[in-house]
Amino acid sequence: MYKRLLDRLLRWTLSLDVWINRVYPADFNPLYYTGGLSNLFLTVLVLSGIFLFLYYVPSFTDAYTSVQYITGAPPFGLNGVPYGQIIRGIHRYAADGFIIVILLHFFRNWFTERFRFSRDEPWISGMMLLVFSGFIGVNGYMLVWDQRAQLLVAMTGNTLGAIPLVGGALRSALFGGAGTTNLLLPRMLFLHVGPATALYVLLWWHYVRVRHPKVWPPAVWTLFSLGAVLLLSAVIPAVSQPLASTGAPPDRLAVDWFFLLPYVALKYITPAWLVVLAVVIVVYGLYIPYQLPETHAEMGIRESGIAQVIDANCTGCELCYYDCPYNAIVMVPSPHPGVTRAAQARKLLAIVLESRCVECGICIGACPFEALELPALLEKDVQGKVLEACRT
Amino acid sequence: MTEESGPYGIWIALLALVSLVCVIGMVWGELTSHRLWTGGFIGVVLVAYSFILLFLRKGGFTGV
Repeated sequence: MYKRLLDRLLRWTLSLDVWINRVYPADFNPLYYTGGLSNLFLTVLVLSGIFLFLYYVPSFTDAYTSVQYITGAPPFGLNGVPYGQIIRGIHRYAADGFIIVILLHFFRNWFTERFRFSRDEPWISGMMLLVFSGFIGVNGYMLVWDQRAQLLVAMTGNTLGAIPLVGGALRSALFGGAGTTNLLLPRMLFLHVGPATALYVLLWWHYVRVRHPKVWPPAVWTLFSLGAVLLLSAVIPAVSQPLASTGAPPDRLAVDWFFLLPYVALKYITPAWLVVLAVVIVVYGLYIPYQLPETHAEMGIRESGIAQVIDANCTGCELCYYDCPYNAIVMVPSPHPGVTRAAQARKLLAIVLESRCVECGICIGACPFEALELPALLEKDVQGKVLEACRT
Repeated sequence: MTEESGPYGIWIALLALVSLVCVIGMVWGELTSHRLWTGGFIGVVLVAYSFILLFLRKGGFTGV
């Protein structure tokens, strides 16, 4: 049943591609660049975040005022930070854009089953990037220390407190003690900036098995995304709620639907159920690559064997290295010349990394020198089968 | 270039004109400290440029 649903979702996704390709040239289709767009928004977030970091003061007494100073809100007006309001808006709307494109990236890769074989690593690292991004976005809202931040802290504290055994300790570690302590905002600032740095480590993991990742969108979408973020920053400026009060937190939440949705859920379910729901969603997300049968027999795929380099024929031309989508081929300095005339002057030799090879045979097609073979599916056998199929 | 290039050419010219007006707006915003407007005008220019690039391509002026 799950497989049938996935097949239907795949058809819908491909139909959407076809429809968009009628409007845009195929290499401009934004759905092909959701990963690259995520990188673009992340870069914008980091650069605008560095700007805001220079002016932000992480203390209960000064945090709100420092944000008002950045944005030139009363009483600062024109004495505020020049273009601070625009930069804050860019940070806010780029964060929304980031979440939108990584969710699109997530669903597109799910529906097109791009989590199979060695793509489970990009999937797992992608899930972690998604979770980290959500966490960073939420504690960014706490840094402003307005009434929304105060309510978020209270709700987060209640939710963490609902976790059995470790909840209280986790809340103390996160907030610096029970309730709101002076350590809260410095910790939130650290947890906003630190995991943002970790995103780049996860990105490295995300890309390490992908040979030709589209890490940047085409100019059309770079310009459009930057323009849209700037335009939104000007038309709907990012503003703070009223200053957090010393008393009880407010009972209403000004919602950012892209980051604060779980908090809206607290209106309908208890914190304990929210924790259970979050854990189920994350665990299921991590399980997705392993849900469908993956052994070769179950999938009806032949056992071709790990690709092997025929030393005598390899010319070191690097065509296989560039074509392998799984980064399973590396080029090393050749220890000796090859045997064929073309291979005698080689300077490099292709080596197959067994742990990364998925036996797909792309390298065989890439090599014009017959220097690679799948041991259980030789090229002459394939040619024989093709000829036989042509005859029938 | 093809026969379909004409309408795209007109759109490109219009967007270039809008961009020019927005650049004047940017200077005005900077001189009069209307910084939100300046930011908005920059945004419009970038969005207009993105559509100019798209129409250049669709009209067959660039690319394949």
